[in-house]
Amino acid sequence: MRLNRNCLFFILSFCYVKGVDKGNFKSCEQSSFCKRHRATRETPSAYIADLKSLSLHKERAFIDVINVEANIPLTLEIIALHNYAFRIKIQEKNGLRKRYQVENALVREPETAPIILLEKKDDHIVLGLDAVNRMVIQGNPFRLDLFNKDGHVITMNGRGMFKFEHYRTRKTLLGKAISKVAEVVGSSGSLTHRLASWIGNLLSSPEEIPMEHNPETDSQIEPLDAEEVQQTSEEPPAEVPVNNDAEETEPGMWEEDYKSHHDSKPYGPSSFGVDLSFPGSNHVYGIPEHADSLALRDTLNGDPYRLYNLDVFEYELWSPMALYGAIPFVMAKGKEGAVGVYWQNAAETWVDVRDVPGGGVVSSLMKLVSGGASEPGPHKEVHFISESGLMDVFFLLGPGPKDVLQQYTGLTGVTPLPQMFAIAYHQCRWNYNDQEDVQFVHENFDKEDMPLDVIWLDIEHTDNKKYFTWDPIKFSDSLGMMKNLSDKGRKLVTIVDPHIKRDSNYFIHKDCEANGFYIKDTNGKDFEGWCWPGSSSYPDFFNPAVREYWKEQYAFDKYHGTTKDVYIWNDMNEPSVFNGPEVTMHKDKLHHGGWEHRDVHNIYGMLVVDSTFQGLMARGENKLRPFILSRSFFAGSQRYGAIWTGDNGAEWGHLQVSIPMVLSLSIAGMAFTGGDVGGFFKNPETDLLIRWYQAGAYQPFFRAHAHEQTRRREPYLYDETTKDIIRQAIRQRYALLPYWYTLFYENEKTGIPPMRPLWLEYPKDSDTFALDDVYLLGDSLLVRPVTESKATSVKVYFPSDESAMTIWYDVETYETFTGRGYKSIEVDMYKIPVFQRGGSIIPKKLRPRRSSVLMQHDPYTLVVALDEEGKASGTLYIDDGESFDYREGKYVYGHLDYQRGKLSFRFLDAGRYSDASWVERIIVAGLRLKPHKIFAQIQGTKDHVELDFKYEAKMHILTIRKPKLPMNYEWHLQFY
Amino acid sequence: MKKLRIYNFNFAILVVTLICPENVLSELRIKGLSATRATLYDPSHDFTCLDGSEKIPFSYINDDYCDCKDGSDEPGTSACPNGMFFCRNIGYRSHYIPSSRVNDGICDCCDGSDEWATGTNCTNNCYELGASAREEAKEKHDIQQRGYQLKLQYSEQGKQSRKEKQEKFEILQRERSEIEAVKLEREALKEAAEIPEKEALEKHRAMEEEIRSQRQASEKQKRDEEALAAFEQLDSNQDGVLTSDEIMAKPIFDQNGDGLVSEEEAKFFLSGQTEMTREEFLNTGFVLMKPYLTHEEEVASPPPSSTVTPPAEGGELPEIPEGETDEEEEDFDHGEADHDDRTEDSEVLPVEETLPYDPETQKIVDEAKAARDAYNEADRRLREIERDLKNIEDSMKNDYGPEEEFSPLHGHCFEFTDREYTYKFCPFDYASQRPKHGGSETRLGQWGHWAGPENNKYSIMMLEKGVQCWNGPQRSCKVHFTCGVDNVIMSASEPNRCEYEMNFVTPTACAPPTGSPDDLLAHDEL
Repeated sequence: MRLNRNCLFFILSFCYVKGVDKGNFKSCEQSSFCKRHRATRETPSAYIADLKSLSLHKERAFIDVINVEANIPLTLEIIALHNYAFRIKIQEKNGLRKRYQVENALVREPETAPIILLEKKDDHIVLGLDAVNRMVIQGNPFRLDLFNKDGHVITMNGRGMFKFEHYRTRKTLLGKAISKVAEVVGSSGSLTHRLASWIGNLLSSPEEIPMEHNPETDSQIEPLDAEEVQQTSEEPPAEVPVNNDAEETEPGMWEEDYKSHHDSKPYGPSSFGVDLSFPGSNHVYGIPEHADSLALRDTLNGDPYRLYNLDVFEYELWSPMALYGAIPFVMAKGKEGAVGVYWQNAAETWVDVRDVPGGGVVSSLMKLVSGGASEPGPHKEVHFISESGLMDVFFLLGPGPKDVLQQYTGLTGVTPLPQMFAIAYHQCRWNYNDQEDVQFVHENFDKEDMPLDVIWLDIEHTDNKKYFTWDPIKFSDSLGMMKNLSDKGRKLVTIVDPHIKRDSNYFIHKDCEANGFYIKDTNGKDFEGWCWPGSSSYPDFFNPAVREYWKEQYAFDKYHGTTKDVYIWNDMNEPSVFNGPEVTMHKDKLHHGGWEHRDVHNIYGMLVVDSTFQGLMARGENKLRPFILSRSFFAGSQRYGAIWTGDNGAEWGHLQVSIPMVLSLSIAGMAFTGGDVGGFFKNPETDLLIRWYQAGAYQPFFRAHAHEQTRRREPYLYDETTKDIIRQAIRQRYALLPYWYTLFYENEKTGIPPMRPLWLEYPKDSDTFALDDVYLLGDSLLVRPVTESKATSVKVYFPSDESAMTIWYDVETYETFTGRGYKSIEVDMYKIPVFQRGGSIIPKKLRPRRSSVLMQHDPYTLVVALDEEGKASGTLYIDDGESFDYREGKYVYGHLDYQRGKLSFRFLDAGRYSDASWVERIIVAGLRLKPHKIFAQIQGTKDHVELDFKYEAKMHILTIRKPKLPMNYEWHLQFY
Repeated sequence: MKKLRIYNFNFAILVVTLICPENVLSELRIKGLSATRATLYDPSHDFTCLDGSEKIPFSYINDDYCDCKDGSDEPGTSACPNGMFFCRNIGYRSHYIPSSRVNDGICDCCDGSDEWATGTNCTNNCYELGASAREEAKEKHDIQQRGYQLKLQYSEQGKQSRKEKQEKFEILQRERSEIEAVKLEREALKEAAEIPEKEALEKHRAMEEEIRSQRQASEKQKRDEEALAAFEQLDSNQDGVLTSDEIMAKPIFDQNGDGLVSEEEAKFFLSGQTEMTREEFLNTGFVLMKPYLTHEEEVASPPPSSTVTPPAEGGELPEIPEGETDEEEEDFDHGEADHDDRTEDSEVLPVEETLPYDPETQKIVDEAKAARDAYNEADRRLREIERDLKNIEDSMKNDYGPEEEFSPLHGHCFEFTDREYTYKFCPFDYASQRPKHGGSETRLGQWGHWAGPENNKYSIMMLEKGVQCWNGPQRSCKVHFTCGVDNVIMSASEPNRCEYEMNFVTPTACAPPTGSPDDLLAHDEL
């Protein structure tokens, strides 16, 4: 929901019309380290690996890598991981300062595997996980090549773009003095930083007082130090060049200005970057979040993709600009297989993508070690550039795209099964004004018989933007309001943002201030920025005590007026700082442990959500599954809940881009995502709103939301036809909840997201590699929402197995489409083009209710769509829909299978759930012959019960009437 | 709670039976059906879906499986997505609920009949609801009755007012034609009287001019004589040239009061020179020295006698336009004023010399003034009448309702104050909002039109074209009229940005009460 500061206070009207103001955000050219790395192009690598230095341990190896120009030794650590992955870390061998190692992203320390020395020659070493999955380390120039069963799949530094800016002292006498002080005081702690930053500033602009420095507070620096500095700085700047390295004097290395903001950069340059090419891969995906196509585009003629969590006002479409979250993970898709790279770094990161024409990558050496591999054809290359931190890279060797996803989510975790309500329909607006308004909204949904599970309250529900409080007048009886919601099985989500109003009567502020919980300014004082409440400070979630504190605030006796049916929305957690550079925190602000914000920026938002997650676990004694929505995210955020694509707009383009955005997030581990239905900014035309509801009903997170200044647009406000169309779309979502729920359960088990690009299921069909308008839910539903204005037909790409002709059934009409390629499908306003794959069985619940909770005991309808061979199978997962009891085995996870006249339901594991519902209807599509009789047998009984059925010969559809099969038993039907 | 669900239909029926033993018979009815519809369900035959789409065995009715597209086979279960369940609600209002509410664990019918299979513990509160509904209906009926009586009075007033307006309108129209004639007549008289006046005044002014120039000439002569006398007195050596020595010898020229007349001081009086001829003295020196000379002489010339102001010349006064001046006129006036200022600045006004009119001229001028006054009076009256006519016409154009019942609201304003604002609603005029704690009033809209639905047009008054929102639309305000005994704003809100809504309770919205209050509790058995 968010206007940025400029728009709020100065030029709202301008922003409203013009959309994103690019001038508020950096280009690569304006980001000195990005510029320096990009300029590395096409020079021979200055780095060699000293292969003689190899030190081999059971699961890891160490090799020195030397920058021959600066003669700075680096350590390359190679770690063999379980499940076909290598991890490498590179840092200075004798660094002046420790580099930040990302914490909290990995679900746990990855399981290592034995490393095998396959070959050791003068010019190269081969290390293997086994004989096939291996890494070749070339000495001069330094380069890594990775192989899997498909052959040569990844090259690092093949083009010599590797550049590692080691920590150094500034080449002045003073600089040396500083580093001396640093040594004495230790590399962490704000004192060093303060000194270093202050001295740095003195040096760089002796006459100016840097903007962010308050003379008053500066004077508080210990007089002795200040005196020393003063004396020294009066001398002429004494440059003592170590060598003639021109880069040392490049602007932006020791301080950097952007607009009116100064980055003091007391530690100087620390960035690194390297090229990674994927021989055989013509498509790379990932590195969300960008409002762009799923397949990453060549960035040669523009800016690189940027990963830097930012609160962007009215973001631009089809752009590599940074958005609210960052996941530095790419998947490269080859003809059949796929590999991945997880670049574990939380600092500002830029990623150039290049289409390499082919040739030139495979050296003669490579031919030798790879057994005469031929020159790769055209392929994709990416160039990762990060500003600081440890170089920590995971190579995921696949070999298939699902393997890569499993490897990646094995490292960073999966989305735990959400409660049923969380995957149902959410109604949000900035703002529902008061408790009467909330009541009015859900009553109107009931009046129109439109299902609704959750109502949301944005920032205005609080007492003057003090989170964890309620407006005492507008929400004087939140518990009464909650009771009315809970009585209908509904939930409420309230917003809790991480900026804290600096109000001396606000308990959170008092606690945070008293305990030193806030992020610190360079002068050691609490940083003060501007956000919704006005002057605000930001809790430092890198401090474990802060996380513990934040967690405690969700307790029912602390967050008054909440119940177990209140869940949480963490917004603005990039963090958004209205008056900060690029609307976020200054990079030289300080975190727990002495880390600069620069080192940790992209992970801040995730830590907020992590603390909230722990809070929701604790308040309900770990019984109910938390639900949290976050705007900012990082690798690993999937473990805490949902994210949405931020502040989109009511435009067809925004509806269109929601598909590749959600897909991009999905294949980077974020399984539970969606965009604001209707578009946050501006007023959607009725047809756009309808199409958005239809598309949103088929995306994982389904929430309508709107900006404060838009017209009300709750679906009950529209004319009868529109209401009916939207009602049908929402009901389709609810009907499919059993399927969605099963997909989310399977995602928790496997890391494969519910919403999938076609190539995840059809990895050999290269026509699917760049599709942005069609996708799969699970492996059984093909969805191509109408996202074009006034469309009367849409072109749908139907994928197909190579071995057999895949049949696709229109889910409404059972019309079939067979074989690979585009078909034109006619659409009226009601039509959502969704197709069920022949060979699949999908569980549904066709009885509409006011909320998903009220559907818990409703019976199932099973839709069996037969493939060419007359077979089909599927799964169904059932539990109580809300608690963690499923982790104690209280669930049913079963396999449904139809072949040769027999439909069976068998448990897949030991889970048992006695309260599971029953089957009221089975529809079999594609059944060529009418059965004479059908008998059911429930396991444990001897009865063969004859069932009623109906057969539509023309459409080949069999409907079994009321088989009354209980889903807490195994059973089978026999067709005669 | 969910665990308590018991899927035992017999048990559920038993409970219902025990609670309502007098309704045992009704249990034979098909669940979820109203008595009127029950006739369509004949157990002795197969059932044809009410939409004719399907024919099914009668045993399929309410067997918890949806066979009919229209949901007609499952009136008592949740099996069909589009079915309706009939809540009998004896003691209260019967009504239908969507079948999506049957057996979902929530008691929707006050008799609890919708939760017949879930074991949900529903209490039958139909009688309580019925009692309070009857109470409410009675109250409503009462209000409606009283309100309607008031509405009739309003209507009476409104019609009377329209009649009066109409009459007034006609009277004014007649008056207008009369006064138009008078105006024409007086205009002629005025023009006739102004011709001799113009001549007489021209003559009078010429006379004044002559006297003025004579007086000027004599004054100049007098001054020159005075100057010459002074020169002679100052020119000690009588050589016809005044030198600085001569000046310095006269203590009266001691400007700084140091007792001496310095060379500098002397120079000042000699216009920066050391000497001055008689001629120069007449032109410049005398002006500078005169104040000092007078001082010395101590004999002040008698103060200039105050001139006699002639009687005001009415005809010369700019006419004050009556009524509104449009901008063009204002601009024009303003331009003229500027011009006048400039003339005043650039020319030294001659000493105001006026001459009383001679009796004959005075008579002519008085006559002309009287004619003008008479004309202006007629003109003003005509404009007044026209304004009144327009007001009446405008007000008669307003749609005060079919019975003129809204007419008495016009001219009154109603206020409502919430936490932050005081809202004001003046029917047929405007609506506004004023911050409670200071700040200026914002117009939310001005009277536009009635905007209720076709069958109830007068239920909503639309006020539009209010002050434009910053970066948004013009404000507008929708006022919902509902029946009440007093005219009161019950609530005001802004459901959409810059679109306001008020709920206005008023007798004008009271429909004629029909029958008894119980009719409001009519059963919906259709």
